[in-house]
Amino acid sequence: MSGLTLATISHAFAGRRVLDTVSLVIRPGELVALVGPSGSGKSTLAAIAGGILKPDRGRIMRRYARHGMVFQQSRLMPWVDARDNIAFPLRLAGMSADRIAARVQAAAEAVALRRDDLSKRPDALSGGMRARVAIARALAVEPDFLIFDEPFAALDPALRRRMQDLVLSLSGARGFGGLFITHDLSEAARLAHRIAVLDRQGKGITGSLAPPGQPGTRSESAVFDFVETARAEPLLHDLVNVDERALPLESTCDMSGFRRCC
Amino acid sequence: MPSDRGLIRARHWLRLSEWADMLPVLAGRAAWRLGPPLVGIALFLALWQVAHWHYGAFILPSPWQTAAATLTALSGLAGWAALGATLARVLVALGLSAVIGGGIGLLAGYVTLIRATLAPVATILLGMPATAWVILTMIWFGPSHGAILFTIAIVTGPILYIGTVDAVRSRDRHLEDMAASFGATALARFHRVALRQILAALGPVIGIALALGFKVAIMAELVTNVAGLGAEMARARAQMDIDMALANVALAVTGLLLIEHLLIRPLQTRTGHWQGPDA
Repeated sequence: MSGLTLATISHAFAGRRVLDTVSLVIRPGELVALVGPSGSGKSTLAAIAGGILKPDRGRIMRRYARHGMVFQQSRLMPWVDARDNIAFPLRLAGMSADRIAARVQAAAEAVALRRDDLSKRPDALSGGMRARVAIARALAVEPDFLIFDEPFAALDPALRRRMQDLVLSLSGARGFGGLFITHDLSEAARLAHRIAVLDRQGKGITGSLAPPGQPGTRSESAVFDFVETARAEPLLHDLVNVDERALPLESTCDMSGFRRCC
Repeated sequence: MPSDRGLIRARHWLRLSEWADMLPVLAGRAAWRLGPPLVGIALFLALWQVAHWHYGAFILPSPWQTAAATLTALSGLAGWAALGATLARVLVALGLSAVIGGGIGLLAGYVTLIRATLAPVATILLGMPATAWVILTMIWFGPSHGAILFTIAIVTGPILYIGTVDAVRSRDRHLEDMAASFGATALARFHRVALRQILAALGPVIGIALALGFKVAIMAELVTNVAGLGAEMARARAQMDIDMALANVALAVTGLLLIEHLLIRPLQTRTGHWQGPDA
């Protein structure tokens, strides 16, 4: 079983502090959704958890062997086909061609990718298929912890739901723990054991909410009721009510940081 | 029940009929792809012919006369030697400027301090007219093979430098973040993710540098009178042999097209195939 502890993490981009003493403990096998308004530093925290960024301060304790990461907009290499995209982390690890082929096949089957999809380049795949390839790439390393950084934000609602179902079934079958970054409260309530709320200015986790029951067993009405009740919680006030136009410019857009959104 | 042979025959007929259905579509596509360039070439040749009729063969030989003069030039060893000398110079000098200009451009793309320091130098070098370099190198090195190589390299180097800097800066850094999340080292991120994008972006720049390198080579050869197509042109000018002058121009253009289609285009296809045919 796997877990992750982020202890008093602080990070700044070009002198602007994005995260300030953020601590988050994810227990073994637990899938935690991290929610927060735009510009609160969610993706920076995911990048730190995923080893992309080294925090200025704080400690990361990983109680797992390998992690996989699924990103917003899939981040597939456009010059190779789906098969080679899935195989990418395995080639990095210097695995033999036979083992790579077997792992790719298993990962593709897990996300219901067809054989003919595997020989297509990303520009020939739909948004949903690209998301499946990105999940398969993360699964190919046989991770015991998964980090999702708003992976389905760009998908339409029906497709997003199918992808959520896929995550639920994989999580149920494999029992991995994970961190799921999202700003969609319904998505968080469907997928996670617990919802952690990041302060709007990245000054720590302001609190947690636990939807009733276990992920995958919650009915639609239970998720809906939870979200409706949670919206009234003071803890989620910033997430529900924050108007990005009211935020100072440097908070809404990270020019030099991990997201490089502008 | 139909026999196996009958089934095979039926399948063949089906395929043939599919091909027959596809034929007008394929022909239409080919006409759309090849038609406009062929019309453009025909228009150019027609205008040339009209100008020839107007000015006469002494001022402007016809396309046919030029083609005949080109064949005459290529029928002897001297023509091939001139073409080979120019081609070799362009390739060597371009390789040199790719190593130096591209190498420094790669460093400058990653290191802001180097980029900021070299920005004014690159602007000055880009602004220097090629003719000025030809004169300067004639004075520095004399009319030599090295002078021509230096001139081509110094003219194309800044273009390759700026192209490389832009290619490094415009790469998708999110892909490198993705690779980092799977434990890729800085070297692996460069080699497996960044380099591919940089080379793809450099394809058109190399094409431009090649064309410019050819022009500069011929000009430098013409001024220095060192063996090559430019020197042949200088000889044709001295003898007032307009047929031979145009034949050498035709050879230079053919040489450029040969290198572009045999070397540059395959490289562009190999490194930038995912960007589509119009990229």
